[in-house]
Amino acid sequence: MTTNTVAPADVQQTGKPILEVVDVTKTYGEGHTAVTAIAAASLSVAEGQFVSLLGPSGSGKTTLISMIGGLLTPTSGTIRLGDQVVSDMSKKELTNLRAERVGFVFQSSNLVPFLTARENLLYVASLPKKHSRKAAAKRADELLGELGLSDRANNVPEKLSGGERQRVAIGRALMNDPDLILVDEPTAALDTALGRQVVQLLAREVKQRGKTGIMVTHDLRMVEYTDQVFEILDGHLTKSDGTTLLDGH
Amino acid sequence: MSIALLEMRRAKLRFGLLSGAVALLVFLVLFLSTLSGALIESFTGAIKNLNADVLVYSSSARDNIQGSRLDPSVVAKVAAVPGVAAAGGIATTTTSAQLPSGKGDLALFGFDPTKPGAPDGVKEGRLPNAANETAVDVAGATIGSTITLLPTNIPLEVVGILSGAQFSAAPTAYVDLPSYQAALKAANPNAPFIPLNAVAVETTPGSDPAAVASQVANTVPGTAGYTISDAVAKIPGVSSVSQTFGILVGMTFVISIVVIGFFFLILTVQKMRVFTLLRATGASTGRLARSVVVQITAVVVVASAVAILLVWGALKGASTGIPVSLDPTLVIGTVLAVWVFSLAAGLLSIRRIRSIDPATAAGAR
Repeated sequence: MTTNTVAPADVQQTGKPILEVVDVTKTYGEGHTAVTAIAAASLSVAEGQFVSLLGPSGSGKTTLISMIGGLLTPTSGTIRLGDQVVSDMSKKELTNLRAERVGFVFQSSNLVPFLTARENLLYVASLPKKHSRKAAAKRADELLGELGLSDRANNVPEKLSGGERQRVAIGRALMNDPDLILVDEPTAALDTALGRQVVQLLAREVKQRGKTGIMVTHDLRMVEYTDQVFEILDGHLTKSDGTTLLDGH
Repeated sequence: MSIALLEMRRAKLRFGLLSGAVALLVFLVLFLSTLSGALIESFTGAIKNLNADVLVYSSSARDNIQGSRLDPSVVAKVAAVPGVAAAGGIATTTTSAQLPSGKGDLALFGFDPTKPGAPDGVKEGRLPNAANETAVDVAGATIGSTITLLPTNIPLEVVGILSGAQFSAAPTAYVDLPSYQAALKAANPNAPFIPLNAVAVETTPGSDPAAVASQVANTVPGTAGYTISDAVAKIPGVSSVSQTFGILVGMTFVISIVVIGFFFLILTVQKMRVFTLLRATGASTGRLARSVVVQITAVVVVASAVAILLVWGALKGASTGIPVSLDPTLVIGTVLAVWVFSLAAGLLSIRRIRSIDPATAAGAR
């Protein structure tokens, strides 16, 4: 695997950078119909940091975290997670990366509808085969306990409330002890109080476990739980100082 | 438990209905195959299970043993043809008889117990070797019971029970040639002689039966030679019955495969969101494809077990008039074929899974 030297503009010096995104561009289409979804984005996040990515709908937030999480390949630029250059990986390597090093919490929780909360966690544990079956079961029970879902473990998603589903999705994202947790609009389907609880929980889990987290949101109220804030508008990523957040959006 | 089996456990009704539908289709395939096999066997068994390599009819017989008339002297002429190790006369007629089930038709066969032409498939007892002894393929007959030829009232003592020896869907009784001739003479006292219908030939080791059959026809005037399989295929009605049942079984088989293939394709399309999510969380295409294979296999296994029970029950309850039994080779072959072709139909689903873009789970596309 190739390793490139990167020098992102917004490296935070609070700890060892685990995630580095350097001049990443994503373009759809070709020629005069080409659309640039992300234009030369750079960011760096250290271990144990929880950052938010703010932006209106269609600004490119999801595209950026999809590239960071190995769901999409950038048109140009470099994404590095620890010692691995994600942007150079093959499809198979990206599949393994997602199974082993990245935990996703998608919009609207996205759980497997015919699996119980516990089985949703156990299924992702079976993908990288990091844990024995017994160890995976123990970890799933521990996570569900921490997330306050012990008594809901054997319910399928349709028997869970929106907040419970989101917590199961967080548990699933943490199940394989990933280095990076990517969270896309975790509060979209929740009321304010529940949304706040879920983000607090996420921030706590990221901090306690020494993980790196990126949360995509357009809810300004949630940024108080994050260590740094990035804004994205029309595909252009900038680091926010907290005063000019998405003026007019 | 795998995700495929967990899904089946949670969607019992959906998979139960599919397994039920497939079970009915596999039942139809098995039932039709068993019936057609039994029917064809009842038409051909007596010829197919003859202890001979070649049969010789008269050239005017039009491929039909019952239309064949041969002078008994032909046996010696056939025996002299190169490639023939031994030859024995066979005679057959359809007569009325008092059977265990009542009065009915009986195909009476006369053969020489010391020569080729004896029936194979003695299930119980032995072949006849004395006057008025008989080995039979007659429903309800037991060793020691008597079958009476009508209208002559000649009693034949059953010394052997045969299986797969019916002819033209009629029960059969095998006696030695002198007994056969005596029975026919009693029924037709003015007949100048009792002709043979065929000569059964055992070929010399290493000879090609087809070549010996031609050689006999070329050497002995007025005769036509057939290998056993050729003689079976040319029994009147057999090829059309085989063809008709073949089409029925084939169509049912194809419909089963298409139903399974389409069902899993619909299921896959319905589950694209789940498959996309699983791909996004790190499940490989191969792993998802395996879940489809596991589900198809489970459905085929459950459906086949139900179908076998249904066929067994139907054969027990049905009154077909011909001996019908479930052939394990047919069952295993049919189930394996349904499974293999269902997996092939499952490729449609696997193709859809391969086309999944995991980025859509995040809504990036």
